[in-house]
Amino acid sequence: MSDVLKISLRSQLKVWNSVCFALFLRELRSQFDDKLGLTWGFVEPFIFIFGMSYARTFMGGDDVHGIPVFMFMLIGMVGVQTFLQAFPKVANAFSKNKPLYAFRQVQPIAGLLVSGFVEYTIKVIVVLLSVVTVYLLEIPVKIHDPLLLLILFHLLWIMTLSMSCLLGIAASYVQEIKKVVALFTRPLFFISCIFFSLQDIPKEYWHWLTWNPLVHFIELARYACYESYGDAGVSISYVIEFTVAVFFFAIACYHLTWKGLLSR
Amino acid sequence: MTIRLINLTKSYPSKLGPQYIFKDLNFDFPTDDNVAILGKNGAGKSTLFRMLAKSEYPDKGQIYTNKTMSWPVALATGIHPQMTGRENARFIARINDVKDLAAYESAVQDFAEIGQRFDLPVKTYSSGMRARLVFACCININFDIYLIDEATSVGDPKFRRKAREALEVKAKEAGLIMVSHEMDQIREFCTSAILIEEGQLNYYSDLEEGIAVYME
Repeated sequence: MSDVLKISLRSQLKVWNSVCFALFLRELRSQFDDKLGLTWGFVEPFIFIFGMSYARTFMGGDDVHGIPVFMFMLIGMVGVQTFLQAFPKVANAFSKNKPLYAFRQVQPIAGLLVSGFVEYTIKVIVVLLSVVTVYLLEIPVKIHDPLLLLILFHLLWIMTLSMSCLLGIAASYVQEIKKVVALFTRPLFFISCIFFSLQDIPKEYWHWLTWNPLVHFIELARYACYESYGDAGVSISYVIEFTVAVFFFAIACYHLTWKGLLSR
Repeated sequence: MTIRLINLTKSYPSKLGPQYIFKDLNFDFPTDDNVAILGKNGAGKSTLFRMLAKSEYPDKGQIYTNKTMSWPVALATGIHPQMTGRENARFIARINDVKDLAAYESAVQDFAEIGQRFDLPVKTYSSGMRARLVFACCININFDIYLIDEATSVGDPKFRRKAREALEVKAKEAGLIMVSHEMDQIREFCTSAILIEEGQLNYYSDLEEGIAVYME
């Protein structure tokens, strides 16, 4: 009997591919179904990030520990907005695609990955728009360690998607979790070292901030651009360890619960 | 070969503890002719149906089959109200790995008889039109077994006749499993019945016999 049921890996991958593609088109179609269309998807976050960063430059000060204020804010805003925008949206993917689980080919994780990919693509476009803006404004930019910057950006995405997966699973068992999490993610905007540098804080209070991996992501990204900024108090190993831990926890939880997710 | 249910256990969590719908069920599901699934409300018709389609999985046990099965075709499965009929059809075709999308699209448009409105969002459709679209999407893909869940009941008599004719053509190589409360409809499409009673399945090769037991 088992011979009959065995399906080749190649055809499985092919089905996966066509499912993800179909979900991707559906996601684009349903998420940006108005007159502003897809453009709004990346113009809005860009305006927000740009506006906040630019506004900060009027508040005085030319640089923060050797970084032009605009760049300082921009790096922080991109980092924190990546997490804050994608996290709740991608976590919704499990419940949003529920009607589609009637098709046995559609598995919950496919919806999550597709939703994550859409958000990722949007953020990449936002970053490119920001680069163009920085070039046009003739702000002096240095990128000391582009490789570190790229690694940080992608680790941040892996962490965000893993956290979204965990929240999505938790929320499909206990609805209320979403509300509580929304309450707790809001302060992240203020404690993730966007408006200020970790160096501005007295050393004895650092431990109140450095539990937060976003602080490490953002401060390291600044260090990756301007070496003179330094990386005191933050470490790449914390970032990697945290990401790997949530990643494995997320896929373990998914593996245990995916059949339950279908019927919830 | 039939569909084989082995040690099937399925329960739903509730405030009163897990509610068992099936417990260690073993059954060989005949698929040679068109089968109706009968049972009271809450007996587990839809659950069984969804498990056959692998839209849902049992807690324990397995369902073995070498037949390809459609998705459980109910009123709104997989249809996005903001996408047009055409986009929805394309979505379903992609998911089910249909080779020739253009041919499939026109076949669906033709069968569902929705003409120009195929390019309007599905939210503007009447419920009958939606049902026709879903049914047309399903019948134009080749499966060994079609799982139909009251989807055709809202169509007008003419469409129902057309649906039955299409299924009769398919019936030579394909089977049909149907869930419905409408006895007329079941008599129209099916020739045998499976009755679900207290977590047990009973097969009646004569439909009328099954209906008689069910009606008691």
